[in-house]
Amino acid sequence: MDIQNIRNFSIVAHIDHGKSTLADRMLELTGTITERQAKDQILDSMDIERERGITIKASAVTMEYEHEGQTYMLNLIDTPGHVDFGYEVSRALAACEGALLVVDATQGIQAQTLANAYLATEAGAEILGVINKVDLPAAQPELVAEEIEHVLGIRKSECFHISAKTGLGVKDLLDAVCMLLPPPVDRSDEPARALIFDSQYDDYRGVICYVRVFSGALRTRQRIRLMGTGYSYQVIELGKFRPDMKPVGELGTGEVGYVIANIRDLANVRIGDTITDDVHPAPDPLKGYKPPMQMVFSDFYPGNNTEYPRLRAAFEKLALNDASFTFVPQNSQALGFGFRCGFLGLLHMEIIQERLERENDIDVVQTAPTVSYEILLRDGTVKKIDAPSELPDRTMIEEIREPFVKLEIITTNDTIGGIMKLAEARRCKLLKTDYLSPTRVMMEYKAPLAEIVYDFYDLIKGISHGYATMDYEFTGFEAEDLVKIDILVNGQAVEALSLIVHRSNAEPRGRKLITKLRKSIPRHQFEIPLQVAIGGKIIARETIKAYRKDVTAKLYGGDVTRKMKVLKKQKEGKKRMKSIGSVQIPQEAFMSVLDTSE
Amino acid sequence: MAELATGPTRRRHRVSCVKRQADSPTSDRRALAGLYVHVPVCRSKCRYCGFYSVPAGGVNAVRLVDGLLRELDRHEGIEFCTAYIGGGSPTSLPASELFRLARRVRERCPFATEFTVECNPGQVDANLLTQLREAGVNRLSFGAQSFVARELELLGRGHSVEQIETAVLAARQAGFENVGLDLIFAIPGSTLADWQASLEAAVALNLEHVSAYSLSFEPGTVFTTWQGAGRLTAVDEELDRAMYEWTIERLERAGLAQYEISNFARPGFECRHNLGYWANRPYVGIGPAAASCLIEGTHAGGALRITNDADIERYLAAVESGRAAPAQTQAVSLDDAVCETAVLNLRRRGGIDRAEFQRRTGRDAMRVFAEPIERYQAMGMMEVTDRSVRLTRQALPVADTILCDFSALD
Repeated sequence: MDIQNIRNFSIVAHIDHGKSTLADRMLELTGTITERQAKDQILDSMDIERERGITIKASAVTMEYEHEGQTYMLNLIDTPGHVDFGYEVSRALAACEGALLVVDATQGIQAQTLANAYLATEAGAEILGVINKVDLPAAQPELVAEEIEHVLGIRKSECFHISAKTGLGVKDLLDAVCMLLPPPVDRSDEPARALIFDSQYDDYRGVICYVRVFSGALRTRQRIRLMGTGYSYQVIELGKFRPDMKPVGELGTGEVGYVIANIRDLANVRIGDTITDDVHPAPDPLKGYKPPMQMVFSDFYPGNNTEYPRLRAAFEKLALNDASFTFVPQNSQALGFGFRCGFLGLLHMEIIQERLERENDIDVVQTAPTVSYEILLRDGTVKKIDAPSELPDRTMIEEIREPFVKLEIITTNDTIGGIMKLAEARRCKLLKTDYLSPTRVMMEYKAPLAEIVYDFYDLIKGISHGYATMDYEFTGFEAEDLVKIDILVNGQAVEALSLIVHRSNAEPRGRKLITKLRKSIPRHQFEIPLQVAIGGKIIARETIKAYRKDVTAKLYGGDVTRKMKVLKKQKEGKKRMKSIGSVQIPQEAFMSVLDTSE
Repeated sequence: MAELATGPTRRRHRVSCVKRQADSPTSDRRALAGLYVHVPVCRSKCRYCGFYSVPAGGVNAVRLVDGLLRELDRHEGIEFCTAYIGGGSPTSLPASELFRLARRVRERCPFATEFTVECNPGQVDANLLTQLREAGVNRLSFGAQSFVARELELLGRGHSVEQIETAVLAARQAGFENVGLDLIFAIPGSTLADWQASLEAAVALNLEHVSAYSLSFEPGTVFTTWQGAGRLTAVDEELDRAMYEWTIERLERAGLAQYEISNFARPGFECRHNLGYWANRPYVGIGPAAASCLIEGTHAGGALRITNDADIERYLAAVESGRAAPAQTQAVSLDDAVCETAVLNLRRRGGIDRAEFQRRTGRDAMRVFAEPIERYQAMGMMEVTDRSVRLTRQALPVADTILCDFSALD
């Protein structure tokens, strides 16, 4: 096909703004699938994605479309819809020349819409504004068009008004894709370079790489090299998604498809990496490649120590399908043997948790999520840690640096006050506010990731009655006046309860934490002191009172069965807790570390 | 058995208690079974009581006693060392039927060294007690519960403080030398002074035995409903504990030694029937809702527990047509029997008698429960000697937090 007739584009949208429905309509209109096949939104292939209404992994579908007597090849590249996958989104967008920015006519621009639009702009993609759900009674397409013009500079008169559900305006949109979006640049005579924008593991065929060819061509049986990792392989199969996998002999410049090359380890295939010819490699890889960066960490311990091997097997399986998830063995004095897991962000963590529960029946104790820190040591070296317990001795530390993000929140103007108050309490610095419309405001903050990682999103949802949306992007590590809080239970420091916080917050946070612990640790036969210490100095104390009376008054012949059951249950309750010295600590206590609610 | 060696006994009749002498480790060739007869009728239901009973007026007493005796006949061949008629309120039966039941039980248990009947103080007189004595009953247990009128009213007992005192005097006059009573503390609204007054009144009666129970809110009782509705509040844990501590102190001072978590007796007057439960020896329960625990060689070294259904009509229909009482049967594994024995033994002040435990279960308690014993010993909650393992005095108020660690093997 003539490269002038190829269009590579993405649909970017906030969750539920209709991305998948629009994709289905396009697949139908182009005859790629029948209406019946469309019933399960094709682009979302995993259960969790479908249930949550989000797309975790990008996919790509090739469609053929007749426009003004010519056949166009339209490659629709799907993007993950969440902040944690910002890098993956940016790579998917880099594979495109254009993007359709879809906004719900009843809801307007959301934080994620913006974040994705910026990513598309950065990737150099041409953006078409699309206002969806215009058929709904609550639709305010004119108002939304004004927001789009105000925030993104796309003229409101150029926005497409569609209803993906009914199909209204979708054909015009497809025509616009052919007319308004640019074709790929023809670099067919240069050495082969293909961008890997997604990958997936198949039990039988190994890693399936999703690629966009930028120059030259890929051929079956060709020896290829991954420029970032240096591994080389022989291409077994090339193909396109239509939407089922259809093998082809060659993928030319500008085309999108998949590569199978007998790659057994997903970790060798990095998103953003460049595939080139092993014999005649390109001089430089494509720009923009970054190794995945885990920003959020949490420890997972089997509820029962004998489950450790099963937990390991489960993580190995999860990592096979998700190269951005990491896990390393961990041994905690309090919780025994487990794993420290690294995630791109909180949603990523939630997804892994859900898969772990769904696909493996393992009882897991999970610690509260933390972020990674950079420690500048006195000797000038920089050490990265991802748990407070790894913090070196105070005397060796020059400074502690924590990760910062650019945080965008879009909310209604009547809820700004509450959100600003929360943000301020969480050490967020307001960079700018921008009225998208008379009633809707975008706020941009510089925020420490540690402060927003746990419950921030839930809280702003609460303050704004579910209205506010947020998105964030990692900007860098910066030195702050941070200290480590130690928690002593019955005189013994419990590492899993340690916390790194800003000095100004240390005392109130410590107090709050032991108040929570007092409620979540059950009473024992003895009094248990709970203490907060900073650098060995005790700054707060609480006491868990001892049991005073707990004894069955009557136990005769007819009571034995029932009473033994009650006692066994009491014993079971103890078993679900972890023993620290002679104190039994329930699992939820370990999660209370980051819970700053009252 | 140590507990049988005390008091007046007729131990020359050393008869095996079970029809089939089992080879299981839990069997004890010298064990004698206890017989419990549950009389499931009451004049009125007390508000705190969770035991099975129906209004006495609605039951044909002749038919009920006939039924109980027919079920008793099914256990031909078992020798009983103690007998206990409880309820419900046995004394809410017409006197003639209670005597018939008592006489027949005595005939059936000629060698029982202890034969107790539970009495409601408001339902006895000199004549009735004399006749019970003549029927072979040698121990009375009065459901006194409190000597504070307001508390008796709240509990819904249907008798007065004076009636308790009159009943105990009548028991003495009828020749009973082993008289005990039950008391309840931690009654909602009760103060330490209220409880002390009840205890003083009980001590003044010069009894052989006192059971003192902390009130518990049982499912299905009026008290539990009231508690749910906010009409009643359980007493504060500290007060409950203070009342318990005072009970132990005061009764021991009066010569009533604590021999189980809730039981106190003059030396030699410990309730032998109940000691059988805490030793986890076999027992047979007769009547609706009554439980039996039999040793069965076919059950992998464990025991067999049979709990009759709590339904008087179905019970009578079954026993009248010569069938077994409808019941739930549970095979107790050897491991569970080991745990039950430990939990029950540890309720005794004497705790686990290591030799007895080994003989009854085939296991060494010190090895089976090494971890919790060591832990609680370090905490001062348990005492270990060559002969026994027991809870310390300070462990008693929180015994369940410790006993739960003996309720299952890891």
